Formats: sequence, C-alpha cells, structure tokens
Amino acid sequence: MRHALRVLALLMLVLVVTPSGAAVAAQDDRPVVRVGTEGTYPPFSFHESDTNKLTGYDVEVIKAVAKKAGWRLQFVETTFDAIFAALEAGRIDVIANQVTDNPERAARYGLSDTYTYSRGVIVVKKGEKGITKLSDLKGKTTAQSLTTNYAELARKAGAKVEGVEGFAQAAALVVQGRVDALINDNLAALDYLNTTGTDKIEIAGNAGDEVSEQKLAFRKDDTQLLQQADDALAALKADGTLAKISKKYFKIDVSVENSGEADLSGGRAVRSDAQIVKDSAWPMLQKLLIATIPITIVSFAVGLVLAVAAALANISGSRVLRGIARTYISVIRGTPLLVQLFIVFYGLPEIGIDLPSWPAAVLALSLNVGGYAAEIVRSAILSVPKGQFEAAATIGMGYWQTLRRIVFPQAARTAVPPLSNTLISLLKDTSLLSVVLVTELFRQAQIAASAAQVFFPLYLLAALYYWVVCAALAAGQGRIETRLNRFVAR
Amino acid sequence: MTDTSRPLVAVTGLTKAFGDNHVLRGVDFAASSGTTTAVLGPSGSGKTTLLRALNVLETPDAGLVRIGDVEIDFATLPAGKKARAETSRLRAQSGMVFQSHNLFPHKTVLENVIEGPVQVQKRPVDEAVADARQLLEQVGLSEKADQHPFELSGGQQQRVGIARALALRPEVVLFDEPTSALDPELVGEVLAVIKDLASQGWTTVIVTHEIRFAEQVADQVLFIDGGVVVEHGTSAQVIGDPSEERTRQFLRRILDIG
Repeated sequence: MRHALRVLALLMLVLVVTPSGAAVAAQDDRPVVRVGTEGTYPPFSFHESDTNKLTGYDVEVIKAVAKKAGWRLQFVETTFDAIFAALEAGRIDVIANQVTDNPERAARYGLSDTYTYSRGVIVVKKGEKGITKLSDLKGKTTAQSLTTNYAELARKAGAKVEGVEGFAQAAALVVQGRVDALINDNLAALDYLNTTGTDKIEIAGNAGDEVSEQKLAFRKDDTQLLQQADDALAALKADGTLAKISKKYFKIDVSVENSGEADLSGGRAVRSDAQIVKDSAWPMLQKLLIATIPITIVSFAVGLVLAVAAALANISGSRVLRGIARTYISVIRGTPLLVQLFIVFYGLPEIGIDLPSWPAAVLALSLNVGGYAAEIVRSAILSVPKGQFEAAATIGMGYWQTLRRIVFPQAARTAVPPLSNTLISLLKDTSLLSVVLVTELFRQAQIAASAAQVFFPLYLLAALYYWVVCAALAAGQGRIETRLNRFVAR
Repeated sequence: MTDTSRPLVAVTGLTKAFGDNHVLRGVDFAASSGTTTAVLGPSGSGKTTLLRALNVLETPDAGLVRIGDVEIDFATLPAGKKARAETSRLRAQSGMVFQSHNLFPHKTVLENVIEGPVQVQKRPVDEAVADARQLLEQVGLSEKADQHPFELSGGQQQRVGIARALALRPEVVLFDEPTSALDPELVGEVLAVIKDLASQGWTTVIVTHEIRFAEQVADQVLFIDGGVVVEHGTSAQVIGDPSEERTRQFLRRILDIG
C-alpha cells in the first residue's frame, strides 16, 4: 500500500513537471493571446483521437492568424456556455469557436471579419417526416447549447430548448428520441454523420434561408487585437492560406460565400467503440493523476483546516467567532457548489481578485469542504467526554495542547467515517471543474467523446476510473478506522 | 516542603453558585502538610465542588484559596490572560484523581503517566519515564506499563489515575470519590494505594463515602452539608463522636446501608 502510494506520487510528479519544464525553456517576447475554444466541437475545435492534440478548422485558422499577427497562443478549453463569461472576465482574449455574427453580439463584442460562411440545418431522427423547416419546430423540443445563435433561432421558431454541452450530446438526445430536433451548423452536422457513420439521424432541412457568418470575438475595448486579427485574416485570404485550411476539412472554401456543397466524407475515420475507449484510456488516466487526484488532495487538506477552524469558532465562547462560523457554514451548505465555483472564478475578478483556474478550483472546493466538514468536526469534538478535557486541564495542558494531544486523536474516531464520505464526494465533485476551465478526468472524457461523437463507452470509462479511486479510498478508510478503534474497549 | 508554621492548604470564605443554586456558601478549612483530609457529606452538599475548586476546575465566585505559596482571591480575580496564568499556577499545586479515572484511552499506561511531566513540565523523557516506572511499581502496575487503559480492570485504571496525578509531583493530591465507580471487590486495592500515600507523607484531600476508610486513615474529617462545613475535627471526633445532629443522621444512614 505504502509502496504503491510512493509510486503514484512519483508518477504524478513526473507528469506535472515534464510539460512545465519544457515551457520554461522557451524564451519568447511575443504577446500572449489566450484563445477560448470548446475543444469538443468537431470539425472546428476538437482533439485528435490518436494524439489527443487540439486541432480543427478554427484552431488552425487562429494559429495562422497568430503567425501573421505575431502572437503567442495559449488555448483555454471550456464549454460554449461559459465561453463569453470567460471572455468578459478577462480569462481569455479571443473566442475561436464558430461565433456566429448577430446584432446582440456585434453590439457587445469586437467581431472580426468573417472566416466561415455556413448555414444552419435542422437535424432529426431518421424517418421523422413532420419537421423540414424552422416553422415546423413550433411546440417541439430541440437540444442546443443555450448561448448559441442556433438556440436563439429555435426559440424564435417557437421551440422549447433543452440546454446541452455540445453537438455530440445534442445528437445523442435526438437519436434517443428525447428531443425532436437540433439546429446546428451544416458543417458540424456533416462531420457528425461522417464520423459516426450513423443512419439514425439525418439532416431534414435548412434552418432559414440566411447564411450565417462566423467570426472571431474579442472584448469590445480590445481594438488593437481586433485590428491585428482583421489584417491577418485579410492577408490569409489573399495568400490562399485560409482556402487551403478550409479545403483540408471541407473540400470547399468556406471562408468565402456560396462556394458550393461541403464534403466531409474523406474526414476522420469511423472507429469502433473498443478502439475509441482504447485511444482515450491513457489521456483520461493522465487527467485523473495530474488534475483530479491532486486537486482533491489539496482541497481536502485545506478544507479540513478550514473545517477545524470553523468548528472551534463555532464552539468557542466568542459570540463574534460563533456568528462568523455559523454564517460561513450556512452559506456553503445552502448554495450549490456549481454556483460557488462560478462566483469564485467569474465573480471575484469583478472585485479585483483574479485567480487562475487551479487556485480558483482549489479555493472553491476547499471552502465547500470546510463548510460541510465543520459540522462533522464540531460533533466529533463534542463527542469526546468532558472528563478528557478536565483530565488534560488538571495535568496543566493549555487549549491547543489539549486539542492536539488529547481531543483530536479521540475525535478522529468519530470523524473518520463521515469525513471519508466528504472526501469521496469531493473527488466526484471535481467533475464540475470544467466550468472553471480545469481539464480534469470528466472534461477529458467529454473531449474524447465529442471527437469520437460517442458518449456512452467513454463516460462508462470515466465512471470506472472514479469508482476505482473511491474504492481505494473506502479501503483506506477501513484501515484507518481499525487503527483508531484499537484502543477502545469492545 | 514549605513553611511548616502555616498549613499547606488554606481555604477561606469560598462561595460558588450555579445560577440560583448556591453550592458553596462560605467554606473555610485548612490542611497541614503531610496530612490526610477526608471530606464527607450527602450528595449535593457541595463537597465535590469544593474539591474541584481547589484544582480550579470550577472557578469560585469569591473566597481565598492558598496551596503552598500560591494564593488566589477569587473575588478580585480579573478576567482574561492574567487570570488564566494565575489559575494555572494554582492548579499546578495539586493533582486530581477523578471518580471515573478519565485516563487517555489512546495512550498507554506509561504514556498517560508521563504526559504531564513531558508535555507540560518539559522534563526530559528519560527522567519522566524512570519516574513513571517507579510510580507504577508503587501502585502495583509495573507490568501494565505498555498496555492501554481498556485492557485494565476498573481498579487498575484508577491506580493509573493516581500515578498520573503523582507524576506531576504536586503539593497536594485530590481524590474525588475515587472508589464510587468501582465494583465492590476492586475498592480495596485502590484504598490500599491511597493509604500507602498517606503513610509516605503525601498531603491528600479525599472526598469519599468510605466512612470506615476515612476513620482509619484521615487525620482530619470535614462534614459538609448545604454548602458549609457543619463539623470538622479528627476522625475520632467527627465520625466516632459527632456533636452535630446532621452529622449523626448522615453517618447513621450511610453506615446502616453500608
């Protein structure tokens, strides 16, 4: 057990140190531009199934733009519904993710020249005859990312919109018959059909007659970057680079209007479920070891310190301390973790506290653990008989000495089972961290799932990873309990 | 030890109330160095509170407590840090043996005994261990040093409790009904140890219901009822020939039952 732990720690160290060491070596004075993109929206932004490298039409376009403009890029992957929040909070500088131009966005953001012309299509379950145009969606249900232009189209057509995280998830809902249709980009739909080889869904028709124009989005006041991007796009159009990138993915040049029908048939190969799982197993295990587990450990340790502090404050003689502790516990237990994550990551920058992803994740999770564990610690301390405190007092021990040497070792016996629950919950709660732009195990599963356009086997694999770690934790709990119980008369 | 011309323990005008319940209503007593004082009284009489006040497990409302060179006037005791320093100085003058031993269950017998000397008095571990082994031998538990409290009988646990109190080398050892929680057949071994202490010159104050034991061992007996000392004197006086009616009633009840 101990040996296995040491090996695990060493492995994590290697995984953590290697990439950061490489980054330090490269000295570069070009300005860093952080690019927000989904990483789960093929063929525009996705991870190659064999190398796990981020690629896609939008990714290649922004790389070409950066080369012309003299930027150094840093990709930040997040769900589309968090992407504009990230831009406004200054966590990213540009969105390269098929942002469709519309008047609201044009007013709020700095939009570049168009680099994709496409049209929206309605996708339905094969054989569904009742839906062929936008007006047929009245009273129907569609699956969309809530903040997309297509969600807006569906709403205007009178459809009920179910929020999803990306195209693959929406497609799954259509296949399963849980929603009636989805509206998305023609190119994304074609990619899905080609990659999965599915005959369960089909393109039913166009979502309106309008051609939609996709652009890079900057903060409104970031005019310098926008200007550089426009200059670069113009140059890329002129020298044929943009057309070349486009033809690689779509056989046609989507960066100009009316260039014909796209053909994605020569795109990525259809893979079997077994192959998909095999390809994704190692990247997911890596994220488990370098993100999920370390974040869990650090958050739990910090959270435990907060919990002890809150518990001691709560049973102290000071009314002020008690009030602070009770408010803290009440707020944490009374609000969803997801909301706490959003507040720490997107809210605190508004008052000048701008934490990077990892510290923000650890802070939010620690505060959460602290609030929950505080009550566990408090009741565990109170479960130690009063006589123990008195015996410690009569031999002359002070407050901290009594806690450390007499009370905590005995309180631990009561606290370990519920604290183990907290730890196990925490491990699983890290699956929410993609909203604060941390790529952990579950996010990696989403990335792999969207590249493959297949969910079930990859989420099952993620579940298996979580379960194995939780089972190990439960076994550890058993050992600790045995150890703590050995001095108690039975 | 200290100045022999004055008593080692002196208590004057001690009062303590829990809300409306006036448990101590002005207790006075003194105990000379090397003597054994037995405190008798019905339950609720205030005798345990008196004992706990000597160790400042209860803070009296008013009155004077002096043990050796340390004296506190509780009527004028300020609040806060200074008070804590004062009370811990007074507390260090006495060792306490509880009715329900209160040994630390997660520590071995030896660790229980050296905890105070090493952690609080900062004595070298070697010295504290040697001392502890000697004390354990004295209470007849040498071979139990490395066991945990749950492995011992009630009487053995209580004897470890006594060794733990002695290890701090206090001026006075306080016993709060040390045999009340024990099975009858285990009472004897504990009383034997306490009796042994008396003969070695330890100053002890014992709250007890063991009248026959008090009669045998105590140099001085206090009978407390209603928060005041009703009668005090030698054991022959207070137990053998009490002058107060309340004392006589109490003794009659206890001895009839016993």
